[in-house]
Amino acid sequence: MTRDYVLAVLRGADYAVFAYFIALNSSYLIMIVLASVEFAKHLRRAAFAGSDDMFRSPLTLPVTVIVPAYNEGAGIVPAVQAMTALRYPRYEIVVVDDGSSDDTFDKLREHFDLVEVPRVVPSEVPYESQVLSVHVPRGDTGSLTVVRKTNGGKSDALNVGINLARHPLVCMVDADSVLDPDALLSVAKPFADDPLRVAACGGVVRIANGCKVVAGRVVDVRMPRTWLVRIQIVEYLRAFLMSRTGWSRIGGLVVISGAFGVFRRDLLVAIGGMATDTIGEDAELVVRLHHYLRDRGEDYRVIFVAEPVSWSEAPSHWKVLGSQRRRWHRGIAEILTKHRHMVFNPRYGRIGLVALPYYLIFELLAPFVELAALVLLPLGLWAEAIDIGFAWRFALVAYGYGLLVSLVALFIEEVSFHRYPRWSDMLRGVVAAVLENFGYRQVLAVWQVWGAIAAWHGRPAVWGTMTRTGFDTPEPTPVETVGAGKS
Amino acid sequence: MFELFSVTMLVLLAVVAGTAAGIVVVRVWRRIRNRRLAALAAGPRRSLLAFVADNGEEGSEDLIAIPDDAWQAALPAALGLLGKLRGDAHSALVSVFLHRGAARAALDDLHARSGVRRARAAQLLGDLELREAVPELCGLLTDRDHEVRVVAVRALGRIGDAKAAWRMIASLDQHDPVPSLLATHALVQMGREAEVVLSAALDHPQARVRAVCLDALGLIGATGAVARMARVLADDEVLDVRVAAAANLGRLGARGALKPLIDSLDPPAPDLLRAAAARALGDLGAPAAVPALAAHLDDAEFQIAHEAAQSLRRLGPPGQSELRERDNDHCREALALMQPELVNAQ
Repeated sequence: MTRDYVLAVLRGADYAVFAYFIALNSSYLIMIVLASVEFAKHLRRAAFAGSDDMFRSPLTLPVTVIVPAYNEGAGIVPAVQAMTALRYPRYEIVVVDDGSSDDTFDKLREHFDLVEVPRVVPSEVPYESQVLSVHVPRGDTGSLTVVRKTNGGKSDALNVGINLARHPLVCMVDADSVLDPDALLSVAKPFADDPLRVAACGGVVRIANGCKVVAGRVVDVRMPRTWLVRIQIVEYLRAFLMSRTGWSRIGGLVVISGAFGVFRRDLLVAIGGMATDTIGEDAELVVRLHHYLRDRGEDYRVIFVAEPVSWSEAPSHWKVLGSQRRRWHRGIAEILTKHRHMVFNPRYGRIGLVALPYYLIFELLAPFVELAALVLLPLGLWAEAIDIGFAWRFALVAYGYGLLVSLVALFIEEVSFHRYPRWSDMLRGVVAAVLENFGYRQVLAVWQVWGAIAAWHGRPAVWGTMTRTGFDTPEPTPVETVGAGKS
Repeated sequence: MFELFSVTMLVLLAVVAGTAAGIVVVRVWRRIRNRRLAALAAGPRRSLLAFVADNGEEGSEDLIAIPDDAWQAALPAALGLLGKLRGDAHSALVSVFLHRGAARAALDDLHARSGVRRARAAQLLGDLELREAVPELCGLLTDRDHEVRVVAVRALGRIGDAKAAWRMIASLDQHDPVPSLLATHALVQMGREAEVVLSAALDHPQARVRAVCLDALGLIGATGAVARMARVLADDEVLDVRVAAAANLGRLGARGALKPLIDSLDPPAPDLLRAAAARALGDLGAPAAVPALAAHLDDAEFQIAHEAAQSLRRLGPPGQSELRERDNDHCREALALMQPELVNAQ
């Protein structure tokens, strides 16, 4: 009797996990279909999008680009140099040196001939650290400002940058990002097209490993040498490019990457800037923005543009990747815990009823279910709760359907943007989509569960160390990422 | 059950294989198409560049004689040039487009069912700067498709015919109107001829319309509208409109703007307006504003004190001497911007 009961429970659990994987992969597929509709619309309208008019207009909203930097001495000069050459009519760059212990500031001072200026830093959004000095290039007080402050973490550095921003739009960019020349124009364009409603706009982040970068510009896109990064490229295409475009299309975008996003400064001030109590500060900001605007009954839009792009370096070592994914999943857990009253709450419309529940069920819980499946399936087979036919079907749905979703993402990328022109690179992408299912997903799930549990246990957040190989230089340069936890 | 499973597996395999094959097919098709288009467009592109390099003086017959398929292949390049060129070269290229019947086709396309076609046609008519198309383009200002309306506004701005000003202003007062900044830019491109219409629209019941007209008046340098703008600054019931009035009075640099701006520096004017007035007084460039600005250097509101200090710096020696007399962070910051090593960029 007890055995029958246990077998029934085991069978039920296996069927539930099976249904979960069908729903998960179907949700990915729906997002990809929505994204493809959006891409088609984008491409058909490129001819009359009016980017050149926006570039020429004296009324185009000026932008402050905020670049938080912590121990970024290895690449800060080319990064800032490239940002000063973006195609945009009026913008300033504010680099916030978050108490770096390396030569980040010295390199900036030497290259841009910085001189110290007295500058009053307002406290429109709160920050905890101390601003030590403000610097501008000799003979140029408008285009670049470098702020030195005591270490307070990435959110704190961004808050100082928001306070110093002089323009109505604020663009947050990671110090290791490489922007396409038109990236700022594209990501700020929705604010010009629909200024009353657009509250924030995210840009797509692609992986730069393996690409040829000259003078701060990606000039030749190719697949990297390691399979670990190739798999991440497929993952980024499916989960970031397609998924976020899909969510944007249905008005449910809740994540704008901290590596590349533009916000209205007045709204950032109104909601108190970046939160310093979460490691997923970028997504938390967007959720809080939704919360604020929905509470006030505002008609607003948070959107995502798929092209052009910001390029970023992805982890090329398992250890660094693990640290990144633990951090990301911890961020999701923290945000959903902090804003739990929004989840399934009709007051927050699509965000409360669709987007956040999706993040809860298909993002936060996915690694738990993935690991559960790895235990339940063999157990069910051993106990004869399920037969071999079910096990096959299960594998097919969990991995075959997942492979199909990745291939469709590659297909849409090929039709829409065609960023990888070499046959060999596309072939590697297809192989990476297959390999992703064997080992990568499972190891990732372990890290993600680890990150979520750390959030619920309130363990201190650790950013870890990012080993940057650089885009041009083969010599690895160990560099710590922007500090969040007083790193 | 087993059969169903087999069928499912086969279908999935087929879809996976089909998707992989699709990637290959798309890639091959793209290569073939690009190669064909590049071959077709090579000659016309050379002719186009030579034509533009000669400022359009020679080669128009060659461009007109290009076969349709080759012209279509080179069209993106030709349209790109059309949007960028100015002066004689632009006029010459326009005449090539007109000879090829582009204007007639675009005017027809303004009534197409597809929003994309209507928008493309409007864009082309704007790039051709075809005044005859203004009434038709004005009709698109109320198009059902937001994107078409946006392109129509840009096209009308490019043509710059002030006859469209009133229709454009009216289009701001509708559900889902065109973006304010875009409309402002288009109105500015119409120049001083639009001043009377813009000035009259300052009494429009829609705040958004009044704000757009204020910006346009400021940017076209409509000094004749100062009195009406000053009245908006003093009396308008919407704060954003008053702020726009302050900014544009400063931009105009007319003597008549001094008193209304100084009056807006103090409560009961809201802080946002006070800060805008302080900034506008710096733009105005009248040394007579120095005492009023100096009185706000210690204002409790950060933005007002900050703008007052920056405006005093821009007002030259009389303002700068006021800054030197104060021991205040805002004054120090403003004075630092006058240091010889930085001042070159001011």
